[in-house]
Amino acid sequence: MKIIFTSSGESWDSVIDPRFGRTDFILLYDEENDKLSSIDNRDIMNVAHGAGPKTAEKIFGLGADVLITGNGPGGNAASILAKMPLKIYVRAGGMTIRQAYEAYKNNQLVQGA
Amino acid sequence: MKEIVIISGKGGTGKSSICSALAYILKEQSVIADCDVDAADLHLILQPQSSQTSEFVSGVKAVIDPDKCISCGICANVCRFSAISAGEKAYQVNLLDCEGCGYCYYVCPEGAISLPEQKVGACFISQSRLGNTLVHARLNIGAENSGKLVSKVKSLARQQTEMEHKDFLLVDGSPGIGCPVIASLSSANFVILVTEASKSGISDLKRVWELVKKFKIPGACIINKADINPDICKQISKYLKQEKILALQEIPYSDDFPKAIAMGRTLVEQNTTKWQPFFQQMWATIKETL
Repeated sequence: MKIIFTSSGESWDSVIDPRFGRTDFILLYDEENDKLSSIDNRDIMNVAHGAGPKTAEKIFGLGADVLITGNGPGGNAASILAKMPLKIYVRAGGMTIRQAYEAYKNNQLVQGA
Repeated sequence: MKEIVIISGKGGTGKSSICSALAYILKEQSVIADCDVDAADLHLILQPQSSQTSEFVSGVKAVIDPDKCISCGICANVCRFSAISAGEKAYQVNLLDCEGCGYCYYVCPEGAISLPEQKVGACFISQSRLGNTLVHARLNIGAENSGKLVSKVKSLARQQTEMEHKDFLLVDGSPGIGCPVIASLSSANFVILVTEASKSGISDLKRVWELVKKFKIPGACIINKADINPDICKQISKYLKQEKILALQEIPYSDDFPKAIAMGRTLVEQNTTKWQPFFQQMWATIKETL
């Protein structure tokens, strides 16, 4: 399984960024090889409109199975994400990446979008 | 820190009046952010002082270099906003009509067109009259609000809330259901919807709630001017029940709203005996659900 997190930092101890489109980082955890990699998304700050769809586009190319985020994507971003086989879990805002991953493993996250 | 966003969908429902009243009740525990950047007005009531100012940069507009322009007119032909016209020596962009789409920039064979970022206003971190910090912004005339600007106000406000160790960030959200509202909601913990008992009140409430639902944020609703149309008020109450939105105390039409605004006061200062217990109780109800 490949799992994506919206994150305010680049490590397991970083806090989930509750925002989808304007998240600072996109973290990708590949369970198969136990590797956590990160994509810097901070250039999204300079986008005036349509931040959600732009971030969704980036995620499209990553081939992930699961997305864990805070408040979830808006309508336009959700319609892009719906085109891939991706399960979306929300309300992980405030948790660290590690806590969010544990919560996901224990079926404690809410499925969204 | 809990981030509470107040939105209305429809304008004129009393959103900012209610926000400033809650800002009064929470003055020791909160930072306030005015994300209604298009028509910022909390500063009229909270009269902030000693601002820390930063520039707002958002969006682009086309500029044609007259020395490089060969007057081929391709740019004017493709412009969907009729913003480009032939000048004496070179083609020119009317900045008021330009939407910054960049079509002309891509088609210009001479590379004579650039898309510089626009300075659209300023953002302030100020001390409000009540003592709490107010983060707010001012747009230049004709400039447009965007998700980017709201995000900037919000991220400054969140930093400020953490720095001051305050428990609550109270956000006066943007109107409508577009990009700025999405940016207002993106990191919210709780939403307060302010509506009124009118046709457009209920219609816009439904539209904005559909958006809030996408973000799975819990919400409560205040029906303001509840007595101006009892039928619609009943319809709204039914909708709230059906959607599991917490119904807060209804507010009958009150002259105190326009009077308080005219005097530059919060509702609580306008009529303390009436509104102080009212908003204290409302806050207690909200706090329980957070």
